[in-house]
Amino acid sequence: MSDAIATIRDWVIRGKKNEAVAATREALERGVDPGAIMKDGLIAAMSVVGAKYSSGEFFLPQMMIAARAMTEVVPVLKPHLVGEAAEIRGKAVLGTVQGDFHDIGKNIVRMMLEGGGYQVVDLGVDVSADMFIEAVRKEAPQFVLMSALITLTMEGMRRTIAALEEAGLRSSVRVGVGGAPLTHKYAAEIGADFYSEDAYECVQACNRMIDSARAEARG
Amino acid sequence: MTPRERVLTALKRGQPDMVPWIENDVEEEMQVRVMGGRTDFTPGELCRALGMDGFGYHFPSGLSASDGQSIQTTGTSGKEAWYYPQRITFDFTPPWIAEMGTDPSDGRTYVKHGLLTSRESLELFDRFLPDPDHPARYEKVAEWIEKYREDYAVFARIRLGGASTFESMGLDVFSIMMYDDPDLVKEVHRRFSEWSARVVQHLNKMDFDFIWANDDHADNKMPWVSTEMWEEFMKPYQMLVANEIRKPWIFHSDGNLFPLLDGLLTLGMSAIHPVQPAAMDINQLKAKYGDKVCIVGNIDLDYTLPRGTEAEVEAEVRDRIEKVGKGGGYMISSANSITDYCKLENVWAMSRAIDKYRRYT
Repeated sequence: MSDAIATIRDWVIRGKKNEAVAATREALERGVDPGAIMKDGLIAAMSVVGAKYSSGEFFLPQMMIAARAMTEVVPVLKPHLVGEAAEIRGKAVLGTVQGDFHDIGKNIVRMMLEGGGYQVVDLGVDVSADMFIEAVRKEAPQFVLMSALITLTMEGMRRTIAALEEAGLRSSVRVGVGGAPLTHKYAAEIGADFYSEDAYECVQACNRMIDSARAEARG
Repeated sequence: MTPRERVLTALKRGQPDMVPWIENDVEEEMQVRVMGGRTDFTPGELCRALGMDGFGYHFPSGLSASDGQSIQTTGTSGKEAWYYPQRITFDFTPPWIAEMGTDPSDGRTYVKHGLLTSRESLELFDRFLPDPDHPARYEKVAEWIEKYREDYAVFARIRLGGASTFESMGLDVFSIMMYDDPDLVKEVHRRFSEWSARVVQHLNKMDFDFIWANDDHADNKMPWVSTEMWEEFMKPYQMLVANEIRKPWIFHSDGNLFPLLDGLLTLGMSAIHPVQPAAMDINQLKAKYGDKVCIVGNIDLDYTLPRGTEAEVEAEVRDRIEKVGKGGGYMISSANSITDYCKLENVWAMSRAIDKYRRYT
């Protein structure tokens, strides 16, 4: 990794948006590969941030400012990206299930996924099975990600998975679930593809599935 | 011992005659179900029905049950509602300064997003916060305490200001502003805490037995801020409230508080609640901090009370009483509150199990 990319990565990790943007502009002017800036600078930075958050070294505010720095750098970089580097890593439809209005966990997942190069369609809170179905039809995502904070509402996940089956869409998406009352056991019981304990784990799970799908496609 | 003496003994980390049962809240719909559909019961009748040792929160008092979680309205009508409560309440929490939404299915309100996002928005404090010295609410609640206290422990719910700051700024704005405009975060917290400190001065003069400060700081994984952040941005203001409290008090925060606990304990609370099983190991808490604070809670609200069997409820109650109740300094309670989505039969199972195992021999 070049020094310029390492500098961008470090500014993003530290959440220094102005410095990260300036370093990105400078690197582009000096002819550093934009795809490498994206992969080894920005996505790598958010991976480090996610790992630090997951291990308890970083707290929410540090993750928030890192995500903001990344968000500020992307528009500077995007016009220069071509080919595979310009492609999104994957697409996810995300929401807190019907009857549940908690959004902190969902929003953290959104930020981490966006930081990981994913396009996220955030349906917000109180999302019914029908709304998930409609979004899957419209957006054709690889992932449907559902969050719930209270026991009462997590049955909405089961209903959504059943509705995906009924609509013939289940095999087109991977379903991930998370939230305080959730467990691996419950995720398996309702037929979800994966459960993540935190946002970083969710990004890692999505990455594994995308990588394995790409490997399969390549044969 | 009377229920009141039992609670006060446990709050001092002593061993009463039996493990007290206290709840931060029993949601009104559940109260009515416990009372067989009645809405005209007194707080003492609910305590007797279940075997609880005290009460605070709010009661339907003859009116139809609906969500009453704090006062979350705006403008003059909100202030009037705070000054002149229409139903029995013992709550003294400030309103969220936030755009509220309402769940159409049950009328519950929730925070859509905080409104304190800039220096200009600070003017909203005047619009939202009631006068903490207005006498009407204190006079009315004092009447209710006198009328309903019997020999139960009665508590007032307040906030130290942390939850008010998180919710009224929004966690995202709070986080960003810690770096962009740290003085704004401090100013918001200071204003909420000064309001609560003033309220506490009035509560000290009333016949409350203890105070319950509800300020979520964490999720299941960890606190939202580090100890260093908490000490800089929150502790000085929370201490303004803590220093005013002249009664025993319980600190409530959901989630895993372990990384922040040494700092939090410097606030001087008598007890920690609710010790969610998914977030904190109560046996570890007892071993490490049982000589410093009373422990309250830990009967699981993610699985056991809403979805478990009556046998599982009994086993959990027995385990907590035997392990954590040993030597005193423990009050049994759900790991948050008795919500309306708990199974009614499990609430009764909890009541029966507590009665079966709670006595110290």
